[in-house]
Amino acid sequence: MTADDFLTVTDLHAGYGEARVLHGVNLSVGRGEICAILGPNGAGKTTLLRALSGMVRVRGAVRLDGADLTRRPPDAVARRGVAHVPEGRGTFMPLTVEENLRLGAFVRRGRGEVEADLERIYGYFPVLRERLRQPAGSLSGGEQQMLAIGRALMLRPRLLLLDEPSLGLAPMVTRELFRIVQTINEQERTTVVVVEQNAHLALDVAGRAHVLETGRIVLSGSAEQIRADEQVAQSYLGYRV
Amino acid sequence: MSGPTEVTDKPAPAAAPARGGVLARVTGAGWRRPAVAVLLVLACYAPFQLVPFRVFQLTMVLVYAVALLGLNLLVGHAGQISLGHGAFMAVGAYGAAIMLDRWDVPHLVTLPVAAGLAFVLGLGLGLPAVRLRGLYLALVTLAIAIFLVPLLKRFESVTGGSMGLTLPKPAPPAWTGLAEDQWLYFLALAVTVAAFLLAHGLLRSRVGRALHAVRDNETAAEVMGVRLPFYKRLAFAWSAMFAGAAGCVYTWVIGFVSPDSFAVTLSITLLAGLVVGGLGSFAGPLLGGLFVMFVPSISQDINDAAPGVIFGLLIIVVMYVAPTGLAGLAGRLARSTKRILRKE
Repeated sequence: MTADDFLTVTDLHAGYGEARVLHGVNLSVGRGEICAILGPNGAGKTTLLRALSGMVRVRGAVRLDGADLTRRPPDAVARRGVAHVPEGRGTFMPLTVEENLRLGAFVRRGRGEVEADLERIYGYFPVLRERLRQPAGSLSGGEQQMLAIGRALMLRPRLLLLDEPSLGLAPMVTRELFRIVQTINEQERTTVVVVEQNAHLALDVAGRAHVLETGRIVLSGSAEQIRADEQVAQSYLGYRV
Repeated sequence: MSGPTEVTDKPAPAAAPARGGVLARVTGAGWRRPAVAVLLVLACYAPFQLVPFRVFQLTMVLVYAVALLGLNLLVGHAGQISLGHGAFMAVGAYGAAIMLDRWDVPHLVTLPVAAGLAFVLGLGLGLPAVRLRGLYLALVTLAIAIFLVPLLKRFESVTGGSMGLTLPKPAPPAWTGLAEDQWLYFLALAVTVAAFLLAHGLLRSRVGRALHAVRDNETAAEVMGVRLPFYKRLAFAWSAMFAGAAGCVYTWVIGFVSPDSFAVTLSITLLAGLVVGGLGSFAGPLLGGLFVMFVPSISQDINDAAPGVIFGLLIIVVMYVAPTGLAGLAGRLARSTKRILRKE
């Protein structure tokens, strides 16, 4: 582990009731890095993110910038600057786009800042400004994902957790989304952990990547290394090198 | 339980509601202020035109409306469910009754105390809501309602047992020149207006936003920093407070409380009334109050057995033709009228 490790996960076990899903995950993410978690269905990718944001019971340790996050409830984790874009986007359907965005800043005080942040979000996602007064449920899938990411940014997160942002979206839209995530990462130095089935896209933007299989990290490395790994290529990228 | 499903309707046009979010979307924003003003004028005018019995009926509509307003906070806005809200009404009603009976407390004092009592109880009984949801929560709240009647009968020395308690009604001050029924009506109207303002303010605040988030997506609400246990209990407590206030006004108006007035059927009628009136809408509690009060009393004229049957059938009909309740139906009619007018 280096001195600049921002997020460190040590021997993390998690599960639902009797079902154990994570069996001792070790992981570290550097400050300002984009880290991709790859792996097949059921490997525990979503559970790992849920464990990081306090939504499932865990054993082990999660530290963010030196502070212990282990076994804190989700709202306390959010207050420490962790924004989680959940699987399936978590849109508040009947609420307007603007109400959704404002809820993203729920734990923050200071009205002026929130207004400025709204502008910042419209900068990244201009389409949201056009849809401000519409019920969020009337947005397309891609727009809802943009809303979900925009809403997460309203927290001014230090760590952004993205769970399968490509789910159910057209390839073009997904590429656009990843490009914006990269921009956000560069401009705001937000650390990003992204869980993705679409390994190609994730490796394009990520600095480091980890492959999760049945609840354990089986491979870690830079995005290039992972991409070059023959075994990964066969298993997850869908081609032979 | 999910909230109002306006989204399945057409996506609202971009120009639609400028303020008020969900509330405005259900009722239509532009004409709400004038509509409320007209309604208030009519409400002040009505008791001078109607016979005392009708005034009494309208007073009861207001009592139900306040209770439904509370239930609406819980069910329509926070997405929880309660099949035991009659119990909170009973707490308010009996709280006021016992204060009047034992200590001769002035009527106006009973209102905040009864409401506060219900609030605290709601905070306690909101605990199951933290752990349970949907049907399980419905069952627990139903159990509270079932449990209540025998409890009230048991402590006869305080509650008057099955015989209930008879109490003095608030007397109209001489300077008003009002008859008793009119005075009671205006007291109920004042409480109703205050309750609506309070609920409206609450929903537009941070708390209201948190409740909507909890209703629409618990996971997303949680990761945004909304403390689910806290806000669920708070929703129960606020909701109970309104029901308690309604119960207190009930005691003022009827001048009599007995356990059987707060049987399980009251709780179920309240929930049915709210759903028929329109979950999560501004006008829903008022329309629901009208429904709960007048449908049984009008159908009584047809046949003694008719009220139950007609009440049930009407619920089915309303749910079938207007799944967003009468308030949603009114909003839809207003929108289509506007469209027709615009075409000409």
